[in-house]
Amino acid sequence: MSARRIVVTSGKGGVGKTTTTANVGAALAKRGHRVTLIDADIGLRNLDLVLGVEKRIVFDIVEVVEGRCQLRQALIRDKRFETLAILPAAQTRDKDAVTEQQMARVVEDVAAMCDFVLVDSPAGIENGFRNAVASATEAIVVTTPEVSSIRDADRVIGKLVERQLPIRLIVNRIRTDMVRSGDMMSVDDVCEILSSELLGTVPDDEEIIDTTNRGEPVVTVPGSRLAAIYDKIARRLEGELVPFTNLEEPGIFGRLFAAFKAS
Amino acid sequence: MLRGTAGGLEFVFSDGEFEETAHALRSRIGERPDFYRGSAASLILHGGPPDEAAVAAFLESMRGYGIEVRGLYGTDAVAALAVRRGIAYLGEPVRPQPAPISSIDRRRTVPAAPPPPLTDAARSLDADFAGARADLAARRSRRTVRVSPAYVRPAALHAAVPVDAVATRYYRGTLRGGQSLQQVGHIVVVGDVNPGAELVATGDIVVFGALLGTAHAGAQGDRAARVAALELAPTQLRIATAIAAGDGSRRGLPEEARIEGDRIVIAALSDLRR
Amino acid sequence: MQEFASQVPAAPPDQKPLGRAIVVTSGKGGVGKTTTTANVGAALAAAGARVALIDADVGLRNLDLVLGLESRVRYHLLDVLEERVTLDDALVRDKRSEHLVLLAAAQAREKEDVDTERMTELVRALRERFDYVLIDSPAGIEQGFRNAAAGATEAIIVCMPEVSSVRDADRVVGLLPQTMRPQLIVNRVRPAMVRKGKMLSVEDVNAILRLPLLGVVLDEPALIVAANRGEPVSLDAGSATGSAYRDIARRIAGENVPVAEPAPEGGMFARIGAFFRGRR
Repeated sequence: MSARRIVVTSGKGGVGKTTTTANVGAALAKRGHRVTLIDADIGLRNLDLVLGVEKRIVFDIVEVVEGRCQLRQALIRDKRFETLAILPAAQTRDKDAVTEQQMARVVEDVAAMCDFVLVDSPAGIENGFRNAVASATEAIVVTTPEVSSIRDADRVIGKLVERQLPIRLIVNRIRTDMVRSGDMMSVDDVCEILSSELLGTVPDDEEIIDTTNRGEPVVTVPGSRLAAIYDKIARRLEGELVPFTNLEEPGIFGRLFAAFKAS
Repeated sequence: MLRGTAGGLEFVFSDGEFEETAHALRSRIGERPDFYRGSAASLILHGGPPDEAAVAAFLESMRGYGIEVRGLYGTDAVAALAVRRGIAYLGEPVRPQPAPISSIDRRRTVPAAPPPPLTDAARSLDADFAGARADLAARRSRRTVRVSPAYVRPAALHAAVPVDAVATRYYRGTLRGGQSLQQVGHIVVVGDVNPGAELVATGDIVVFGALLGTAHAGAQGDRAARVAALELAPTQLRIATAIAAGDGSRRGLPEEARIEGDRIVIAALSDLRR
Repeated sequence: MQEFASQVPAAPPDQKPLGRAIVVTSGKGGVGKTTTTANVGAALAAAGARVALIDADVGLRNLDLVLGLESRVRYHLLDVLEERVTLDDALVRDKRSEHLVLLAAAQAREKEDVDTERMTELVRALRERFDYVLIDSPAGIEQGFRNAAAGATEAIIVCMPEVSSVRDADRVVGLLPQTMRPQLIVNRVRPAMVRKGKMLSVEDVNAILRLPLLGVVLDEPALIVAANRGEPVSLDAGSATGSAYRDIARRIAGENVPVAEPAPEGGMFARIGAFFRGRR
């Protein structure tokens, strides 16, 4: 049985696609699934950096597509989670280096070897995005509760709906103090505007900046609030009905603030 | 061990390990049987003379792959063996270095066959980690100016004017992430090489600045290639087919990397005595 | 140029030098290009310069939102480039400053639709009428970025103190012609985290990028609020971040304003003695 192929996209840049891909992937691997992460941002690769494997890159996705190496030679095994692998993007090329068909082929080849394929999409809705979506069976749209981010997410959701991909939303960088003071939209507002099903709500936390700079997924940090949240996202992807964390009370899992969301 | 140098392929046999090495080399070439077709090669035998039948069998299998063994390096003891097998005896094993074409030619006793045209793979500087790539035709064709697929014709090569065997690319400035310099020959950069930038050279690499990106010296298989920098702190270092990941430390003194055995070794530049 | 006729009179060519066309770019998305373009533009205009802002993020426009002008946008960049309307029709005058205008991006089109040559001509036409033309680049290094840089003579690189952002900024600098002499704004700095060693410092960032430092802007919730409300903080006299943007505007204008690396406790700024030399 072939893997689930999930594209992680957003429209707007800088809302957390790469950190989401890395951390959701690590969370799934930690739960025992075989996960392969693909960096589709050719020319501006970052997934390797965020996972701390940049020094171990020998081949990249463009070399796989051009037949200059085998897929298994390009995959980097993560040293922290043995079921996690990364296929890095090329840095010295650009998005024209790969066609949609070639990308689809790579994703399918990867999917034959694991349970979950997560494709980290570049920002925007141009050919980089189109390549990333090639051969995906589901989509995760990452947004922050800011007007411009939501506007762009809406645009990308439109594109995904055209391709008939089931979409789930992760709302990232929530600042509950700002939601309370009315300076930031609430998660409910966001979901309503985007009319999409919620997969996860992630608070704004300094820890992400620190772990990204160190090249460590946050799920490796013991006791981390964010690690617990990504674990919940992984469980929801497995199909479990997990109540959403009430971010009003960080660390204290209080009453539910929304009905259970079916998977 | 298989090496590619200016003079062609080199098959290196350590003392007492002829049959083992021959077997390994046969498998290696067998993975890409047509790749080295048309190449010339020399044998380097360390130690005493190996079993002659084994040598004959090896030569035969190489012939089957279109690889012509023309010369043999070794101690006096193997000279007679060379003669019996119809190969030129070239004396003691020389230190691995890109040897200029002319010195090999002098010792050749068989007439040169017209060199085959360069394939795309031969002209490419991409790292080939499945095996060292010996770009024979390119080295022969250094007799000519620039090679392109349409240009190279066997007859033309002999008539062309010989040029310097190895060209050096000199770059002044900082290389940014995503930029790449590739050279058949050596590369010298006066400036930094940032993370995400890459240098690929068939020869040596010298960075008069901080090397923080990726450098690949000896990209077509020359294990004698070196990488030197005022500050050697690369993301990744490659020499021929050896790869080493950087450890992130910055010593702040000039260092050079080279291959020792099968590993990449870094030493302070001041420690090296040539 | 006939095709970009405008009621704003162009000064006779021999009397007035061309305005400066500066592309604001970064490589990485979400580091604050749009916020920077809006705030710096507003600050320059508040100081009396005539400023035109172009949103080159075709398909995902945001500059109009950040300035609170989205309801006033009737025509956009592609309408002008494809000659359906005049420049005058498309330029939106700012609510607050008469010296500031905006040319919005098209929402429903693709970046590949922009003709690079026409873009260069447009920027040139604007330079004849304005002192500063700031072009808000999209993220990435693809056609959208190339279009935004077309016609620009200078560049501002916006970078966050974060490894991916530095890597992408370096990539972009490598793609811009050196004649643009890019300068650096380090954005979203959190001094407390820098002090704890959990965030890169400005020096860490510039150790790789090696660019002249145009300014350092702290991360503040006020920025998000302001963006949501469509009011640039650079017009808020009480805002520290606004003050940073105003300083950047002054430096662009040639004033010698020292760049202060903010001290971790906030409040008093420590001087690091890195003086910025005025240009021109």
